[in-house]
Amino acid sequence: MASLREQILRRKPVTVMSEETGADTEGGELKRTISLFQLATFGIGATIGTGIFIVFSAAVPEAGPSVVFSFVFAGVVAGLTAICYAELASAVPVSGSSYSYAYATLGEGIAMVVAACLLLEYGVSAAAVAVGWSQYLNEAFDNLFGFTIPENLSNAPEQDGILNLPAVILIALCTALLIRGASESAKVNAIMVLIKIGVLVLFIVVGVSGWDSDNLSDFTPFGVDGIEAAAGIIFFSYIGLDAVSTAGEEVHNPRRNLPLAILIALFTVTTLYVLVAIVAVAAQPVGEFEGQEAGLSAILENVVDSTWPATVIAIGAVISIFSVTLVVIYGQTRILFAMSRDGMIPPFFHRLNPRTLTPVPATLVVAVVISLLAGVLPIDFLAEMTSIGTLVAFLIVSVGVIVLRRRAPDLPRGFKVPGYPVTPILSILGCFWIIKDLRAVTIYVFFGWAAVALLWYFFYGRHHALLGTAQAQAEAVP
Amino acid sequence: MTIVVGFAPDGRGRAVLHLAAMLARSADDDLVVGAVVPQPWPPSPARVDAEYQAYLDATANSALEQARARLPADVRATYAVHHARSAPAGLLELAEQHDASVVVTGSSAAGGAGHVSLGSVTSRLLHSSPVPVAIAPRGFRARQDARVRRVTAAFGGAAGDLVVAAAGVAARVGASLRLASFAVRSRAPLTAGVGTGPERAVIEQWTREIEAAGRVALDEVEHLPVTPAALQAVVGHGETWDEALEDVEWEDGDVLVVGSSSTGPVARVFLGSRASKIVRHSPVPVVVVPRGAAAELAEEAVAGTA
Repeated sequence: MASLREQILRRKPVTVMSEETGADTEGGELKRTISLFQLATFGIGATIGTGIFIVFSAAVPEAGPSVVFSFVFAGVVAGLTAICYAELASAVPVSGSSYSYAYATLGEGIAMVVAACLLLEYGVSAAAVAVGWSQYLNEAFDNLFGFTIPENLSNAPEQDGILNLPAVILIALCTALLIRGASESAKVNAIMVLIKIGVLVLFIVVGVSGWDSDNLSDFTPFGVDGIEAAAGIIFFSYIGLDAVSTAGEEVHNPRRNLPLAILIALFTVTTLYVLVAIVAVAAQPVGEFEGQEAGLSAILENVVDSTWPATVIAIGAVISIFSVTLVVIYGQTRILFAMSRDGMIPPFFHRLNPRTLTPVPATLVVAVVISLLAGVLPIDFLAEMTSIGTLVAFLIVSVGVIVLRRRAPDLPRGFKVPGYPVTPILSILGCFWIIKDLRAVTIYVFFGWAAVALLWYFFYGRHHALLGTAQAQAEAVP
Repeated sequence: MTIVVGFAPDGRGRAVLHLAAMLARSADDDLVVGAVVPQPWPPSPARVDAEYQAYLDATANSALEQARARLPADVRATYAVHHARSAPAGLLELAEQHDASVVVTGSSAAGGAGHVSLGSVTSRLLHSSPVPVAIAPRGFRARQDARVRRVTAAFGGAAGDLVVAAAGVAARVGASLRLASFAVRSRAPLTAGVGTGPERAVIEQWTREIEAAGRVALDEVEHLPVTPAALQAVVGHGETWDEALEDVEWEDGDVLVVGSSSTGPVARVFLGSRASKIVRHSPVPVVVVPRGAAAELAEEAVAGTA
């Protein structure tokens, strides 16, 4: 029996990994078919739509108009982490989530922590965007048909509701699609990118007519602390930028195109976000943001006389958040599938339906858990939990880049971080900086969650990990 | 037993005859080539449509003459003009009269050459036939002495009547049996940020499971009193159904057997969503077997009486 230390530190050999997923066998070789432009579009598509539609009500009360700086700050940190992630991804010749990369490079224990973070990044963010969807759906219904879903059925208990029913319905719809084996095609993704960008541009163009410099007179009411606190919530709206890194093996000339695509996506997204933020804070006083639902639509409704721009934005948000939720739930089920195949969680999660080729039990479990979160928890808490999960995952990835450079300097890497070691160190500092300003309750809950994951690992994962059983067998043979 | 062939009165449909001849030769069955013409309607004593009916009969008869000329000499065939409410109903009546083991039809002209496409008659037939329905791809041609050499059963993971039935029939006609499963997955959405690895792992896991299930099913076949010439299991991968079906190699003398969905009525053919996709993308003739017929054939195969 391997010692606990050995168990925690054991790494999944890369060769095993690529054999298992068929990377070296028939049909496994992926063609390098993705161009720089497509990759950047993927990055933009994966990023916009998660947070920008919903973060204002939580972020502006923290920072006031200077929330604009929070967007820039969060964007820079997101970019740094994405670049570090790209190096780790390119060093492991297998295409997977950061859990897979961590398992191959940093060991089983760390992989478990990363997995716990990913459950927050995916599961909890799906819940958060579903809550946002419910708000925009209500807005669209109100403007189009003149009715809204009763307060009781569209709010979390903390906001005097019973259950956020539309959010639950959205998750059920996505689950049904995923169980049938649907997935978002490149074409659908391209359309979604256009819708999302279109909605934001419409907001900027129409919203600027409500410009009132008085709203900006007290630009930094809460100082630097406020900016940092808001950045923690806003970081949530940059999640997805890392999706670019996972496409490494399919990209032409990854050494050049990966960082370029990340930068192009980051630049586009940050520019749009900053413009949206400026227009938003100039359009209404800081006090009005708190508790405002369907933020972008509501602001436009206040500044222009007609309701159509708000309606268009609400409809655009309803469509694009739907696609985001679908993709995020998909990602979550596949991460659980990978963990289950490694023996870290029960085999139940890699049971497939032979007809649809989808992990139906895993999808159902994910759907039920996300529905519960979306149904009963308020959006700002969900957004912060997502942020901290993602931040810690990227923190680990950035540390991983440094660890791997020291331990395996000769490992072939498709892409190397420019400006090593400054970039990963800045990335680590940036993550810490944002994390420290999150609400105490978020940090406590996160530590609790990480502890649960480690306990799980201690009592289940380390005994059941296939890597361990394979090693034990190898030792028993001679 | 006989094989009923639906031959359109307009004389199109060489493909149907080629397939029917191949099946008849393999099973040593007689063909009944039927042309269905509409019943007089309304049934009026005035017979105002007598000339029209005579014309229809004449057209059908000349179509059957063409069929007679085209069918190879070594196949025994009778020809019948049948009056019925509709073409599918007429073919099913013929099948019942002649105790048919299978009804043969062709593909609609709307589909691409070399593929099966379901026209209105075939679709109706598929929803109401108690006997297996064989469908020729558009433009199907078989050699003069062609026989069924290999029966490929579409295999969805559950060993059942269909596999045993296909094995029984394959053994009877001296063909080998192959189980084919198809994995169709479009590329993983990159925006999910989990890369392509997990999706490939999903496919890999599925392939492993379906191969194990295929071995179990073939094991069962090996214990039948009469077994097919050879046994094999294959898996076709692809991003589309077309690719997945092409991923499996096909030869002359191949026939693909698809079972009806388990959600439809027991006795009738009802294609599930997967089965209908397999049918539509098949490059070889397809035989769709209703569950009831599959159960009967399987019983015969187990008893060794077939």
